[in-house]
Amino acid sequence: MAMVATSARDTGKTGTAKAWRPARSTIVSIVSVAVFFILWQVAPDLGWVNGRFTSQPSQVFLAAIEVLLNDDFFYHARISLTEFFLGFALALVVSIPLGVLLGTSQTARYLIDPPLMALYIAPTLVLLPILVVWLGIGMASKVAVVFLGALFPIVVNTMAGMREADPKLIRAARSFGASRLDVFVRILVPGSLPSILTGIRLAVGRAVLGVVVGELFVSQAGIGYQLNTYGSAMRIDRLLVYALVVSAFGYTLTVLVRALEGRVRTWRPE
Amino acid sequence: MMMDIFMRRQALILGTLSLVTIVVLWQLVVDFGIVNPFFISTPGAVWQEFLVQLNDGSLLTNILATLYSFALALGLAVAVGIGLGMLSGWFQDVEAALEPFIWFKYSAPTVAFYPLFIAWLGYGTPTIVAIAFLFALTPIYANTLSGIKNVDRDLKRAAISFGARPYDIFFRVALPGSVPVIVAGLRLGVGRALTGVVVAELFGANAGLGYSIAYYAQMLQTNRMMVPIVAVILLGVILTQALSYVEKKTDAWRVTHDN
Amino acid sequence: MAEIEIRNLGIDYRKPNSDELFAAVDNVNLSVGEGEFVSIVGSSGCGKSTLLLSVAGLVKITRGSITIGGKTVTGPGPDRAVVFQDASLLPWRTVLGNVRFGLEMQRWTGGDLTKQAMSMIKLVGLARFADYYPHQLSGGMRQRVNIARALAVDPEVLLMDEPFGALDAQTREIMGGELLRIWESDKKTALFVTHDIDEAIFLSDKIVVMGRNPGHVKEVITVDLPRPRTPEILDSERFTEFRRRLRAHLAADMAGMHFMEEAA
Ligand SMILES: Nc1ncnc2c1ncn2[C@@H]1O[C@H](COP(=O)(O)OP(=O)(O)O)[C@@H](O)[C@H]1O
Ligand SMILES: [Mg+2]
Repeated sequence: MAMVATSARDTGKTGTAKAWRPARSTIVSIVSVAVFFILWQVAPDLGWVNGRFTSQPSQVFLAAIEVLLNDDFFYHARISLTEFFLGFALALVVSIPLGVLLGTSQTARYLIDPPLMALYIAPTLVLLPILVVWLGIGMASKVAVVFLGALFPIVVNTMAGMREADPKLIRAARSFGASRLDVFVRILVPGSLPSILTGIRLAVGRAVLGVVVGELFVSQAGIGYQLNTYGSAMRIDRLLVYALVVSAFGYTLTVLVRALEGRVRTWRPE
Repeated sequence: MMMDIFMRRQALILGTLSLVTIVVLWQLVVDFGIVNPFFISTPGAVWQEFLVQLNDGSLLTNILATLYSFALALGLAVAVGIGLGMLSGWFQDVEAALEPFIWFKYSAPTVAFYPLFIAWLGYGTPTIVAIAFLFALTPIYANTLSGIKNVDRDLKRAAISFGARPYDIFFRVALPGSVPVIVAGLRLGVGRALTGVVVAELFGANAGLGYSIAYYAQMLQTNRMMVPIVAVILLGVILTQALSYVEKKTDAWRVTHDN
Repeated sequence: MAEIEIRNLGIDYRKPNSDELFAAVDNVNLSVGEGEFVSIVGSSGCGKSTLLLSVAGLVKITRGSITIGGKTVTGPGPDRAVVFQDASLLPWRTVLGNVRFGLEMQRWTGGDLTKQAMSMIKLVGLARFADYYPHQLSGGMRQRVNIARALAVDPEVLLMDEPFGALDAQTREIMGGELLRIWESDKKTALFVTHDIDEAIFLSDKIVVMGRNPGHVKEVITVDLPRPRTPEILDSERFTEFRRRLRAHLAADMAGMHFMEEAA
């Protein structure tokens, strides 16, 4: 984690073909993480904290192996992943066209702005219990929560991206005889892509949150279900394994979208 | 200018229109038997239920319970987030030492650790506050950090030319210059703190808006459930709008007129 | 007392994205007498700001030395004040707050801060605008604030880095006249960076022409036009003569620059 975090900032600082020499900040980050893990490992052994409540890195590591080998891990992961990707795909299909419409039509925007903003700002997760009432305790209610969580960030950012497009550029294109479709495909889409990706990145965070909250609230299977199980059983080591899996998933997706965002932004002339 | 007022009025009219339409449609689909009121209730029934919950005091109790946890969590997040953010913005080593943990916090959904907090703190306010605190911490910390760290170089140089010491640069240049960014972080933090409180209340509490939503959901009482849901949404909008207003105020000097 | 002596000055910077150093200015020798107004002109990037900021104590001297009134420069000091471009005003402070800022930083002990600041604000003609914020002022007014802030600490040397660089031609001319009026009231030693030839001639006793790669002094021209100067001298024959000489210098430098670029 430390490596990724600091190297992102360091890129471009050293361009020469010199021997690689870690930056001070990288060393500090590594030391800091190492100290954390060492403290976590020795604190229960030395009786500073009750190991029953904190577990230990070594235990978590062993638990991770157990979980992967025989804990129906892949079954639960598949359920959660399905909920996540179904909800997210639905959100993409609905939100981008909606954002485009709202970004290009002022009347539509004025009409929908107040409820849209309210739902963007307010915690959509409060709708979870009513979704459960509607859709039951199975996967459908989680798909719906993911959908709602992911929807609004993408709509709002797509909308913003459409409106960001440079009017001068549009006028110039029109003066060369570009049709509305041309303007849309050649100017609006590439112009708003970075903004849309920003929306998708924010949506990933909310969607992961949605799956976990949905499953923790009520479920029969999934990562959140396992979190609940091991929480009540006080199996902190296994609980942490599942929590770390979710974190790693969110982290990986976020980094991927961010990388894509970075590439798209560099295409765009400032 | 005229155009501006016209547009704003148009936005207001159309916006109100859409809200009214939603409420009317909601009532009509039930009245015409298209949707079973058990699922979505009706505006009329929700209004009745609102009056009931208002009169028996339960609505106010729940709002206050939620606001109490919210205030505690936000207060903690502000103290810790701004404190650590200032240290990290000023001392590169502090930033580097905290960075891996902050990155982890960014990507990890805090609620995944909810059962852990239950194990540590038990059901109730401490766990709710802890979850909401962690929800709100990240944007407040990150914005403070970037505000202090990206102190305007021209201003810093001007201060140094008059003999400013590091202490002066921090308190007279970096900190006042960061106020708008920090307030923007607070606005995000407010929304997240509220989400955190309500979500944690959904899972386990004995009062609060989230608790009452979950409670009525278990009873399958949609009418009653809608009242706290609407209350949470309104609370979120009001709190965020209030912070947006403060943000605009503190940001006033950023406006540059090229004349 | 406040004469500036620059001896064999060299300043190295790090090249972007590498550990290599290059000389931004080298072998600069320059004397500025007490109460003299000296301008530095030269093409963009030739090291004018670097030279000025080294006198201010804001960049590290690599070789040689700078002394002011016999004292060696090692950092910023209360004997000098810098007028920057307008981006250096604190946007959250009013005009009064900004002019007080320099005094506060210096722990000024010469009396009431607000009174001192107000008298400078009056001097630059902004008395009515004391509680305006920078964004409410025009570019010219912001530069008056910058000048007032520098004068408020009563420095012996006034250092100015293209203070009117962001202004339109007309405002610029007015500000030049204002600066002269203010300067003539107590004739502080002044070092003034500009790329405007007319401005340099109009204001200065001496003009330092700098060349590039690395920045060096090509020539020092003494401008012996009588003072106080009025806008009429802009049309005088002697003024035109100075203008021609300076143009020739700068044009030669531009040609050199072109050549360098092709070679690179
Ligand atoms: N802080 C710095 N670090 C590295 N190079 C610099 C720095 N400041 C200026 N330079 C470089 O030094 C040269 C002289 O810059 P400067 O003194 O600003 O020129 P001028 O003021 O005449 O335009 C330029 O090539 C510029 O890019
Ligand atoms: Mg310069």
